[in-house]
Amino acid sequence: MSWKRMAAIMAVFYAVVGILPLFVGDMRFVMHILIMCLIWAVVASCWDVIMGFAGIFSFGQVAFFVAGAYCSAMLAYHLHIPPVWTILIAGCFTGVLGVLVGLPCLKLAGPYVALVTFGVHMTLTPLLRGKIGIAMGSGGATGLLTIPPIQLFGWTFSSEHLVPFFYLTFAVTIICSAIILIIIKSFWGTAFLALKDSEEFATSLGVNAFKYKLMVFAITSFITGVIGAFYGHYVGMLSTRMLNLDLFCTLMVMLVVGGIGQFPGAILGAFITVTVNELLAPLGMYRPLIMGALVAALVLLLPEGVIGLIRSIGSMWRQNDPQTIPSS
Amino acid sequence: MSLEIIDVIISGLITGSVYALMAMGLTLIYGVTKAFNFAYGSFYTMGGYIAWLLLVPIAIAGGYFSVFLLAVPLLFGIGYLLEKFLVAPLRKYDDWEVKVMMVTLGLSLFLDNGYMAVFGGRMKSLPTFVSGQIEIGGAVIMTQDLVIFILAVGGMLCFRWILRNTRTGLAVEAVAQNPAGAQIVGIRKEVIFASTFAISTIMVGLGGILLSQKYFVAPVGGGDIMIKSWVVTAFGGMGSVQGSLYAAFILGMLEAMVGWIFGMDYVMISIFVVLLTTLAVRPKGLMGRG
Repeated sequence: MSWKRMAAIMAVFYAVVGILPLFVGDMRFVMHILIMCLIWAVVASCWDVIMGFAGIFSFGQVAFFVAGAYCSAMLAYHLHIPPVWTILIAGCFTGVLGVLVGLPCLKLAGPYVALVTFGVHMTLTPLLRGKIGIAMGSGGATGLLTIPPIQLFGWTFSSEHLVPFFYLTFAVTIICSAIILIIIKSFWGTAFLALKDSEEFATSLGVNAFKYKLMVFAITSFITGVIGAFYGHYVGMLSTRMLNLDLFCTLMVMLVVGGIGQFPGAILGAFITVTVNELLAPLGMYRPLIMGALVAALVLLLPEGVIGLIRSIGSMWRQNDPQTIPSS
Repeated sequence: MSLEIIDVIISGLITGSVYALMAMGLTLIYGVTKAFNFAYGSFYTMGGYIAWLLLVPIAIAGGYFSVFLLAVPLLFGIGYLLEKFLVAPLRKYDDWEVKVMMVTLGLSLFLDNGYMAVFGGRMKSLPTFVSGQIEIGGAVIMTQDLVIFILAVGGMLCFRWILRNTRTGLAVEAVAQNPAGAQIVGIRKEVIFASTFAISTIMVGLGGILLSQKYFVAPVGGGDIMIKSWVVTAFGGMGSVQGSLYAAFILGMLEAMVGWIFGMDYVMISIFVVLLTTLAVRPKGLMGRG
């Protein structure tokens, strides 16, 4: 897909989302879903860049998200630093964390990377719940309950007024999406494409896989941390329950629904998944059950995601139309 | 004090032996099919629930003997069918490794919450094999632990014998070395893939039956186990049975020692640190090929 087409899809999509609050602005439930959609769209697209484009089997995305959220919340709660700064600090923190994790593991073969990054995820729970976490101020098993809201130019953005917060999130999401688009379509993205096609050939031409992978890992970790911190200040409470497998799987569903490595797809996938997930909420404990079955079914039945489905429908429709002559 | 150390060492050896059995299953799947099974932990829990179901509500005649007799073919069947319907159709894609990881992760979520829905959130305890204890020079060993150790090591040797000496085992080895070549000489690759998956399901299921009497059967208990057998596998070198054997005992010991000296909170962290250091020095694990 050319970058113009990607940008066009994203622009149309975000334009539609951007005017939605005019119609549903007074429905708190819908607004909440929309904000969550935006937040998860960023996380899902970050993961898509890492997994689909850079070809790194990283399973640490949720860990970076939670680490960013905790970092910012703890700084704002205990040290009373304004949240705007803590969000940036949290982003830098997860960025550094990404580099630290990436340094030893990005040179390893696929499954090892998955293991190490998933290991980060698994160690975070005992770390935050245990004595070390309590000493740092993570609140232990109960978590942090009163995280101060974001204040910007004398305005307070909190879950009290959802419409302003929506637009703040909207702005952040658009910036993040633009960064991701630039990454994909820059020299790096091309380098990844080359590495995927033939690693030996690309390396022989001087493409340094490790360097690019590390940089992309750091940047996506940064973005994920920022959006995680954002999430923490929005929801106002955090606990280690976020590290449970079902959130991880939900994120994975987004990627599968959108299609791995089909960039704007992940954003679509996030919107579809979050909405379906919220609608399934009344099912209670059966929700993760259905989520799990959905992941398996979707991977099997919809290997290219929604974008792939749309594309195949499009090409079918073009074939049936006798007037168009297939180009090339 | 010195006696406590002996207790810790014994507990490390026993956990290590069961980890070795389970890690062997994981390394077998990876070595042969190059697929990664994320639902591994759920099969561990499945073993526990099968044993519980047979022993407590059904109260089957013959006790654990019949449990093993029934559980082995049952686990084989489940593993075989899951491979056939979930993993095999994905092999035609380029990025099938990621897809297999995702499918198995979804399966694991489905199974874990399925157990929760069917059996409830309460932990189930299994009756013990044998009760009583043996005293050797002042150190007390539970007979049950001893039986677990013997069964785990026996199971491992048994699988090793099957892999080395039977036609099926040799076919598995051939596919692991060169799938295309194996197919040329008439080995049906798909059957071997599915069987390998099924055999690894048996291994981890047996691990579940063995360890569940010491601990408990809980719907979400498998995640920890999966991570540990995964760590053992990576630590020892993926695809190397011997490596995962050593790794299992080293990590079993480490877990017992760290748990004893610093407390259980630090077990996962210490394991992770050891793994990272090992991978930084030897990117393919202790005895990884290549």
